[in-house]
Amino acid sequence: MSDREIDLQLVERVREGDKRAYGLLVEKYRRKLLRLLSRMVRDPDEIEDIAQETFIKAYRALPQFRGDAAFYTWLYRIAVNTAKNYLSARGRGMQTVSDQALNDEDEPDERLMAQDLGTPESELLSKQVAYAVNEAVEALPEELREAITLREIEGMSYEEIAEAMACPIGTVRSRIFRAREAIAAKLRPILGTSEDRRW
Amino acid sequence: MMMKPATQPLPKAHKDETLSAFLDGELPDEEARQVLRELGKDAGSQTLLWDYIAVGDALRGLHAGTTAPHLTHRVMAALEQEPTVLAPMRQPRDRRVTLWLAAAAITAITWGLWQNLPEQAAPVPMAAKDTPSSTDMQAYLAAHQDFAQAVIAPAEMNFTQVSLAEVRP
Repeated sequence: MSDREIDLQLVERVREGDKRAYGLLVEKYRRKLLRLLSRMVRDPDEIEDIAQETFIKAYRALPQFRGDAAFYTWLYRIAVNTAKNYLSARGRGMQTVSDQALNDEDEPDERLMAQDLGTPESELLSKQVAYAVNEAVEALPEELREAITLREIEGMSYEEIAEAMACPIGTVRSRIFRAREAIAAKLRPILGTSEDRRW
Repeated sequence: MMMKPATQPLPKAHKDETLSAFLDGELPDEEARQVLRELGKDAGSQTLLWDYIAVGDALRGLHAGTTAPHLTHRVMAALEQEPTVLAPMRQPRDRRVTLWLAAAAITAITWGLWQNLPEQAAPVPMAAKDTPSSTDMQAYLAAHQDFAQAVIAPAEMNFTQVSLAEVRP
């Protein structure tokens, strides 16, 4: 089942009344969405408000989601419209990115790099996370580092990674898992993964 | 060597590895559906999945800037006030199955009706056996030639072609 199909399954579960499945979709895409919104709005509180409104609007609009586009593409359009309406209601325009650039769905993340729009606290957190991740990745054995990089940065499938690394798919799966576990162990104290994160 | 009973739960490491593969969309459909079902009941698996999502986001640099760590909580709290979305999704695969079932039902009904038709004593000819003779047909066509687009001049009518020179004095 592909990533897109998983999202469709999650949407279906939400439609069947499982709100927790929607929580997973929110968690999966919140950082990506915040990143997008930070290109349009400067105030971190406003960014969070627009993001929240986007997710709530998307939840209400789920009956109209047909699955023709990927869930994030659909969410992305809602976010852009929500932000435009938000800024328009306050007599303000977008801050840096043109409408055309925002409406272009190809590789939106490429344009969303290197923004430091957060509060001093969130910037400190970002630095801590970046440092911990770099440290964790550098400490990984070469084969784990390569596997997780090909997956998370290059977006390659297990089959493609297996071919690139000349090993069985099962080995790729195991290496990616072990790499994730090692990095997660470094991040947990910083991100505060605990009971209170569950909903 | 003793075999483990089939009902014994999977070791945690194996379960976590399955969750990792699930996040990558690399599980077979049935196994992925099983993980989805379990996620709804197992808070520990949910938290672990969140951790794996955070690892991926961190590697892609998505932690920089505004991270709004409590956004998911805020959204979920707001959704508590929302009515549950209850609209079954119509997936293309479901539509195909429905169409196939409909086609199969129509075929079955047609076949059943065909089988239950009363047998006829004699076959009904598709066309009249006795065709009119050539003479009858020609007489008929001659009588109705005014209604035809082409002039029919059967031999029986004995038209004689005359020239104007012969008619004029």
